[in-house]
Amino acid sequence: MIVIEPGSPLPPYEQLRAQLARQIQTRTLAVGTRLPTIRRLAADLGLAANTVARAYRELEEAGLIETRGAAGSFVSAAGEQARERAQRAAAEYAAVVASVGIDTSEAIRIIRAALTNAVAPSPSP
Amino acid sequence: MKTSNLDQAGTWLRRHGFTDASPTPLLAARLAVRRRTQLGAQATVAATILAVALTYKHSQREAAAHGFGLYGLPVLMLVMVGLVAVRYALDWWVRRTDRQWEQTLPRRVTYPVRLGWRSLLGLPRAAITATAFLGAVALAMYALSIPDGTARYAAVVLLIAVCGVAVGMVVQLRHVLTRPVVADDELSLDADLVMRVEDAKDAASPALLWIMPISSVIHSNIGWWNYAWSVFVALSLIAFAVVSFATVCRGTTARSAARQATGVTVSR
Repeated sequence: MIVIEPGSPLPPYEQLRAQLARQIQTRTLAVGTRLPTIRRLAADLGLAANTVARAYRELEEAGLIETRGAAGSFVSAAGEQARERAQRAAAEYAAVVASVGIDTSEAIRIIRAALTNAVAPSPSP
Repeated sequence: MKTSNLDQAGTWLRRHGFTDASPTPLLAARLAVRRRTQLGAQATVAATILAVALTYKHSQREAAAHGFGLYGLPVLMLVMVGLVAVRYALDWWVRRTDRQWEQTLPRRVTYPVRLGWRSLLGLPRAAITATAFLGAVALAMYALSIPDGTARYAAVVLLIAVCGVAVGMVVQLRHVLTRPVVADDELSLDADLVMRVEDAKDAASPALLWIMPISSVIHSNIGWWNYAWSVFVALSLIAFAVVSFATVCRGTTARSAARQATGVTVSR
């Protein structure tokens, strides 16, 4: 279900983009699911077509959906592949941790620090 | 809002498995306009059958007097155009009521998936409807090949009527498939989908098709053709009954089907 709240501080395109992105990431919307057309979704939600088009464009840029010409927009397999790649990397890391004898809590601390470094902004020169 | 409309909306909710829900003015208004348009659609069906029968009878008399029926077929075509126009007007009335209520909603909700004809009608029901039309056209074409002027005229009348009914059905189905969702919460969204499924089923019913030849070809007493049509109607009815029974046996309420609407068939 997609909900658009006119009173929300978030603009409608961002409400739509965030809800679709969440449903794709949590697999509520499976890979290959066909999304409504821009015009149809705009009519259903009482939005301008440009608003829906912007949300779709941003989802496409994030690799979550893909547009196949006249066939419409579909949930992309790219997000699923990225998740599988991360799971493979985690399994390899777990194997390394086990082989060198690091305990679980320390292994989690290491991965948390690595994640923090990865998302932190790089220092300006 | 009339209390009777709210009561009927409550009954509708219970019948469709929404046992924990209370009727809202939005639902009551949408159901009320559908009831009225259904009545209008049924009156249109009756008027169409009468018009086809009268046109056929008048043309026969005309043909007996002048050797050919001059006005029968154009009048019948006009009747069919009228049928499509009335169906379109009834759909427009439903859409107008929906639009009025849309503007009062505090927020809007919808499904993130595309609900096409396959989701709403179900492939078996759609296939039976399409087969029923193809069968009717095939039988009418066979009747055209009979070397008897009366039978051929009746077959042309039937063909025009079948084409008119088909166009009316397409217009109605297009309306059901393309009209925007009118919902502001989960309940109204589920109800919207159930209404859409019901409307699609009503639109795709070939009942009018089955009775069309009574006012034309059957009257012309072509023995084998009448038997063939009877078998065709019986088979179509059995197929429809089997599809409906299978859906009931699946044990899903319309609401539970609606809740799974992200990617599943919801025909019922």
